[in-house]
Amino acid sequence: MIHITINGKVVECKDGEMLLSVIRRERIDVPTLCHHEAVEPSGACRLCTVEVTKPEWDGWCDYVTSCLYPAKDGLIVNTHAPKVNELRKSILDMYLARHPKSLKIKQLAADYGVLATSLETVVDGNNCILCTICTRICDHMGFSAISTVGRGHGKEVAPPLDMAPADCVGCLACAKNCPTDYIEYETGNGRLKIWNKEFEMVACTVCGKTTVTKEFAEHLSQQRDIPFEYFEKCDECHRKELSATMGKIANWEREVRS
Amino acid sequence: MKHDMTKLDSIFDKYPKSQESLIAVLQDIQKEFQYLPCEALEKASEILDVPLSKVFSVSTFYNAFSLTPKGDKVIRICVGTACHIRGAKLLQDQFESLLKIKAGETTKDMKFTIEVVSCVGACAMAPVVAVNDKYHGSVKVSKVKKMIKA
Repeated sequence: MIHITINGKVVECKDGEMLLSVIRRERIDVPTLCHHEAVEPSGACRLCTVEVTKPEWDGWCDYVTSCLYPAKDGLIVNTHAPKVNELRKSILDMYLARHPKSLKIKQLAADYGVLATSLETVVDGNNCILCTICTRICDHMGFSAISTVGRGHGKEVAPPLDMAPADCVGCLACAKNCPTDYIEYETGNGRLKIWNKEFEMVACTVCGKTTVTKEFAEHLSQQRDIPFEYFEKCDECHRKELSATMGKIANWEREVRS
Repeated sequence: MKHDMTKLDSIFDKYPKSQESLIAVLQDIQKEFQYLPCEALEKASEILDVPLSKVFSVSTFYNAFSLTPKGDKVIRICVGTACHIRGAKLLQDQFESLLKIKAGETTKDMKFTIEVVSCVGACAMAPVVAVNDKYHGSVKVSKVKKMIKA
């Protein structure tokens, strides 16, 4: 265990632990768009930038992305130094110019006092900020169905060869974790459409509500050892069943005691 | 377009079948076919055990790889700072109007492809035009016609 100082408070943490996780544990609000606890940090959004220094650095400071900066003993961190706030403001200013339609970005920018961008707005810009949460999560799930394509200005998230991705099972991990709601999908009539691929959904045998896609249920039952029948009941019906069982046990207990 | 896929096997045999070989394999395929055919990408993904999305990501990231077939002669016009100042744009216009294609395109008879590149590192002889692996320095608009014929 080592000790670092965050905003004047001495905090204990593991050697080499990423600063952002220590900051979050201390319940200090540092904005992020590309961070997800489940996957490797990538430092793409730059919003978690903090000021770090050490007494032996002679007043010299560094501005680093806290999600990728390992904690070292004696480090002094300032999450909301004036210069850090300035940096975040200018980053949000650029996000606002590039993705004017994203509500999440508007909200974040407003929190930092950026109500309108000072730069030229990209009118037909999409909401993708290339945070790569979707691709990292897809890799993490073991599918790797989508990836970044191209480079520079033309870089985008897409399935390979611009076709419906063969490896996609329609788990929706990408769409549900997209910070800017860029990834679109359609559901209805017991079907799901995402990345131009259509899936059949498994329906709840009790109430008829759809649960997950057939492909995803098959994958989970094979790889994670969850019986396929589990997905043939929706969360609500699972809960009802559980409470019915609990009720039976309670009744039985009452009978035994009396 | 159909390709001699037996050539692919000999490329894959040269390298260990792991993801570290991906770029080397793609380079060899690019050299063999002048571009990366879809089937080759799918095969690379299968043999090297790399997800197809990763293969596609790598092959679209590097400018050295192309996913569309290229002409027999690839004309690369340098539009770096030095070449730009010395009239690379005029050369580009001349090539484009003579071959009736835009930069990045290939003629229908698959003979020529025009590409613009940012600096080939020969600024002293600007403007530079590279035809396949041959570099031409101090190119003038009047020379363009000859370069296409030769």
